[in-house]
Amino acid sequence: MSLETKTKIVHALEKAKGELQTLSQTTTRQIESVARTFEGLAGHTDTILNLAAAMVGCVENESVSSILPQVQTLGGATRRFIGDRLQATTGILETVTTEVELLRQLSRITRGQEAIAFETKALSVLTNIEVARLGAVGAGFQYLAHELADFSKSVTADAMELAGHTDGRRAAIEETKQVLAAELPRLQEELARIELDLGNALSAVEFSLSQLSGTPMQFRTCVENVAQQIAGVVAAVQAHDITRQQIEHVQEAFALISAKMSGDENAEKEGTEEMGRAYAGLTIQIYQLRTIKETVANWASQIRMCMGGILKVSATDVAGIGPAVLDQERGLSSQLAHIERLESESQAYSERIQRTFGGIANLMQLVSEHLQKSKSVRDHLLLLTFNSIIEASHLGVQAAAILAIAQSIKGVSAEWGQITDQSGRAMQEVLSLAKHNNELMGAFSDVSNERLREAQAQTRAGLSNLRTAAALAAGQAQEMKAATDKLQAETTEVGNTVDLLDACFGQIDAMLTEIEGVRRQLEMDHSDVKERYDPAEVEQLFSAFYTTEMERDVLRAALRGTELPVAQQTFVGNSVELF
Amino acid sequence: MRRILTVDDSSSVRQMVGFTLRKAGYEVGEAVDGKDALAKIGQEKFDMIITDLNMPNMDGIQLIAAVRKQAGCSFVPILMLTTESQAEKKDAGRKAGATGWIVKPFNADQLISVVQKLVK
Repeated sequence: MSLETKTKIVHALEKAKGELQTLSQTTTRQIESVARTFEGLAGHTDTILNLAAAMVGCVENESVSSILPQVQTLGGATRRFIGDRLQATTGILETVTTEVELLRQLSRITRGQEAIAFETKALSVLTNIEVARLGAVGAGFQYLAHELADFSKSVTADAMELAGHTDGRRAAIEETKQVLAAELPRLQEELARIELDLGNALSAVEFSLSQLSGTPMQFRTCVENVAQQIAGVVAAVQAHDITRQQIEHVQEAFALISAKMSGDENAEKEGTEEMGRAYAGLTIQIYQLRTIKETVANWASQIRMCMGGILKVSATDVAGIGPAVLDQERGLSSQLAHIERLESESQAYSERIQRTFGGIANLMQLVSEHLQKSKSVRDHLLLLTFNSIIEASHLGVQAAAILAIAQSIKGVSAEWGQITDQSGRAMQEVLSLAKHNNELMGAFSDVSNERLREAQAQTRAGLSNLRTAAALAAGQAQEMKAATDKLQAETTEVGNTVDLLDACFGQIDAMLTEIEGVRRQLEMDHSDVKERYDPAEVEQLFSAFYTTEMERDVLRAALRGTELPVAQQTFVGNSVELF
Repeated sequence: MRRILTVDDSSSVRQMVGFTLRKAGYEVGEAVDGKDALAKIGQEKFDMIITDLNMPNMDGIQLIAAVRKQAGCSFVPILMLTTESQAEKKDAGRKAGATGWIVKPFNADQLISVVQKLVK
C-alpha cells in the first residue's frame, strides 16, 4: 500500500473520529434538553392526573351513584301521584254527575214545598172566613187560621232560601264537573308524557351513571398507561447514554486502527497482518455504526411514541368527566322542575275541588236543618188537624166547612211528610256521595303529596351533590386544559429536539459511506486482506473496548459476516440484581 | 426525608434517576464522577448511593472501595447502574462492596421498590 493511500485512510479515520466526538457532544446536549423538558412535562402530567383524581374522587364521594335509585323513586312517586289523581278525578266526575241530578231533585222537592205553602195559605184564608161566619162559636178556630198562615209564611221563606242554595251549589258543581271533564284528558296526556320523559330520563341517568361508575377504573387504567409511557421515556433517555458510550468505543477503535496503520512500514509481514486486523476492525466499526443508527432510531421513536401516549391519555378520557356530569345534572334538574310544576298545578286543582265539596257540606247542613223543621211542622200540622177535627165534630153541622178544612190540612200534612221523606232520601244520597268523594279526595291529600315531596326532596339533594361534583369538575376542567396546553407545548418541544437528534445521527450515513470507501480501498490494494487476520485475535483486541452485550454480539456478527443482531427496544428497563 | 446520591458522568442518566426517585419521595443529590461523589459524601450524609461504573477521574468500583473505607459508610447501600453486564465486572463490584447491580436502562418501579427495601 502506498504511503499516500495509507495517509488518506488515516486521515479519513481521524476525520470520522472527530465527527463522532462532535456528534456525541451535540446529541448529549440535545438529550439533556429532552430530559429537562420531559421532567417539566411529567410534572404537568402529574397535575392533570391529580385533577382527574380529584374529579373521580368527587364523583365517588358525592354519592352520585345514589342518584339513580333516587330518580327511580321519584319516577315511581310521580307515576303514583298522577295515576291516583287520574283515578280519583274519574271517580269524582261520576259522583258529581249523580250529585247534580240529586240537587236537581232537591230543587224540585223544594218547589213542591212552595206549592204546599201556597195551598196552606189558601186554607188559612178559608179558615178565617169560616171563623167570621161562625162568630163567637168559631173563635176557637182563629188559632188554626193563624198557625196555618205562619206555617205558610215560614215554609215559603225556607223553601226559597233552600232553592237558592241548591241552585247555586248545582251551578258550582256543574262548573267543577266541566273543569274535571276537561282536566281528565289533560291528566291522561300528562301521565303518558311523564311516563315517557321519566323513562328517557332514567335511561339517560342509568347510562351516564354506568359511564361514571366506570370512570375510576378508566382513570386507574389511564394512570397505569401514563406510568408506562413515562417509564418508556425514562428508559429511552438512558438508552442515549448507551449510544454515547458506543460512539466513544467506535472512536477508540478508530484511534487504534489509525495507530496500527501508521505503524512500521518496513516490517512487511507484520504490516500485512496489521492491514488485515485494520480491515477486520473497520468491518466491526461499520457493524457498530449501523447498530448505533438502528438503536438511535429505536429510542427516538420510543420517545415520540411515549410522549404521544402521555398526551393522549392525559387529554382525553378523564377530561370528559366534567361535561358529562354537567349534562346529567342539567337533564335531571329540568325533569325535577317539570314534576314540581305539575305538583303545584295539581295542588291548585285539588283546592278547587275541595272548595266545591266544602260548599256541598254547607248545603247538606241547610237541608238537614230544613228537614228537621219540616218534620216538626208536619207533627204540628197533624196536631192542629186532630184538634180541629175534634172541635169541629163538637160543633156539629154548623162547623162542616171547618171539618172539611181540617181534612184538607190532614192531606197537606201527609203530602208534606212525603216530600220531607223524599228530601231526606235525596239528602242521604248526596251525603253518601259526598262521603265517597271525600275518600276519593284522599288522592289529593297532603299525605299523598308527601310521598312525592319526599322523593322530590331526595332527588333535589342528590342533584345538589351532582351539581357540586359537576361544578368542581367544570372548574378543574379549566385547570386541566391549561396543564394539557403546557403538556402539548412541551411535547412539541421534545418532538422538535428528537427531530434534531435524528438529523444529527443522520450524519452517521455519510460517515459509513466514507469508512466503507476506506475498506474498499483496502480490498483493492490487498486482494487477500479478508484472509489476513486471525478472528480470535481480532475479537480479543477489540472486545476490550466494549461494555455492552450488544456491542459484543455485533463484534461477533461482524467477524462471522452474519446479519446484524436486532437492536432490542426496552420500554420498562432492566431489573435490579441484589448481591 | 431520605437522601440518595446518584453518580454518573451522563447528565441525562442523573436526571432520570433523580426524576424517578424524587417522584417516589426521596431527596436526590448528584455527582458527575467518583471523585465528585467522594467529596460530596465527605460533606453530606446520604442513605444510599447509585453509581455508574465507567466514569472519568474515578470509576464506580474505585468509588465503592473508597466509600467502604470511610467511617460510618460501611453499610450504606450502593447500587451499580451501568451498561456493563459481564460476570467478571459484577464480581468485581460485589467484591468492592456493591449491594446490587442494574444494567442500564433501569426499570423505574423496580428501582423504587429496591430503594424502599434498602433504605428504611
